[in-house]
Amino acid sequence: MSTSLLNASKANLTLRTSPSLARSYAAKPESQGGDPRREVIRRVLYPSQLRNRPTPVGTWRSDVGRAIQHAIPSKQAHQTIERAWLLHQRHVRKQRDTELRRKFECMKKAMDELEKIDTRLYLEANRQEDPRARSRTEVDLIKTLKTSEVRVLEARIRGLFPRELKIPTDTPSRTGWNYESRPFPRPL
Amino acid sequence: MHSRNAARCITRRLAAESPLACSFRRSLATEAQSIPESSTASSALSTAPVRSKRPPRPQISTAVVLNRSPLLTRTPSPFENAYYAYQARIRRALHNPFPYDFYFKQGSLLETRFNMEEKAREWKAFGRDFVEEEFVSEEKAAADKAAVEQLAQQEGEGEELLPRQHEADATGNRKSLDRQGKRNLYLLLQASENGKDVWRFPQGGVEKGDLLHQAAQKDLYAECGEHMDSWIVSRNPIGVYKPQQPSASAGEAQPEHAVFFFKGHILAGQVRPQGPAIKDFAWLTKQEIEPLVEKDYWEGIKDVLSDY
Repeated sequence: MSTSLLNASKANLTLRTSPSLARSYAAKPESQGGDPRREVIRRVLYPSQLRNRPTPVGTWRSDVGRAIQHAIPSKQAHQTIERAWLLHQRHVRKQRDTELRRKFECMKKAMDELEKIDTRLYLEANRQEDPRARSRTEVDLIKTLKTSEVRVLEARIRGLFPRELKIPTDTPSRTGWNYESRPFPRPL
Repeated sequence: MHSRNAARCITRRLAAESPLACSFRRSLATEAQSIPESSTASSALSTAPVRSKRPPRPQISTAVVLNRSPLLTRTPSPFENAYYAYQARIRRALHNPFPYDFYFKQGSLLETRFNMEEKAREWKAFGRDFVEEEFVSEEKAAADKAAVEQLAQQEGEGEELLPRQHEADATGNRKSLDRQGKRNLYLLLQASENGKDVWRFPQGGVEKGDLLHQAAQKDLYAECGEHMDSWIVSRNPIGVYKPQQPSASAGEAQPEHAVFFFKGHILAGQVRPQGPAIKDFAWLTKQEIEPLVEKDYWEGIKDVLSDY
């Protein structure tokens, strides 16, 4: 049995031109008689492992050294640019934080004043609302509305941001601001 | 009597830190002489003529700071643009080449278009003299360009994006909600108060039994109409303004007036001023509000508004 195996392996060796350094799936495919799409996919998934060119991660642009030299003026310049960017980010962050702190101080002052003026209103302002609960006025209102209107009413949940509050975009919408808005009762 | 006692106990427990919040019908903290703790239930309830006059309860009003959030993203500063371009250049130098034969069929028109666009991107990143151009005959280049233009026409890619400047910016129409898309706009009303025309936020009194944020919404609808899809953000006020009362006659303290501001957002619709008291309205940025309002009012509201 061993002799037949040896014969078989010898036969395989004679058929191959040279031993392949890549695994079978990454080996260069035969030029004829193969689906070109399969070859393309194979080449993308398993790039060549040959390290005879200056490309540490397998494949990248051939003139990477020259391109990097062109892109980065010098080490000092690169570090200066990085530091300038971090400083800029710091300025932006500080500005944002100061504005938030200012607004928070205003809110705190308002709540302190309210506490001094009227305790009942102060306690009510501090109450945590259950977003799932329906208030008494809402329950009474729902009885008078149609089903579609009830759905519109329930779509906006107390304490959560409404869906219509969109995030800013790079360019405005074609229709612009919607100036036609029908009055819809939303009891607080 | 019992309920009042119980309520006082509750408030004493809840507002332990504040020595002043001990009874419902509490006088103001701004009062010069503080009422001693010993004079409790009986004297606080009954009007004792021996004690100095208690100032009347302060008048509470609610106002709404109605905000139209920015519609557009901010324009990056030149430094930010330069930094992003620099980082993009480094990334482009380092990244793996694009497997174009995986995504485009060899010799197809889409591949030609991609190659043209990619060359333009390389030129933009590295400069025209950096990239070594392979020789392409002039006729071929012209033919490619014409073919790609035809493709663009066929695919209907001529849909232009709208410019970031709206015509309301050019005309300076302060009632428009499309103006200044990058900034936060706030609603200001011009109302006649005591014969004077003042610019202020929509404001009104508090009805009995109403909570402050409910009163704020009612006041907003009363002054600006209901043809607005607005959202009052929370139950908590965001600021307070106490107008300076001119000292009244006979040394009698006037009731203090406190205006509590509530943040709201407008999502759709427009203001329709209600009533003869409201002369005009405008949607203004913070910098435009400052010259219009009274100095005292500005000091009260400037910290509540967003800078940008």
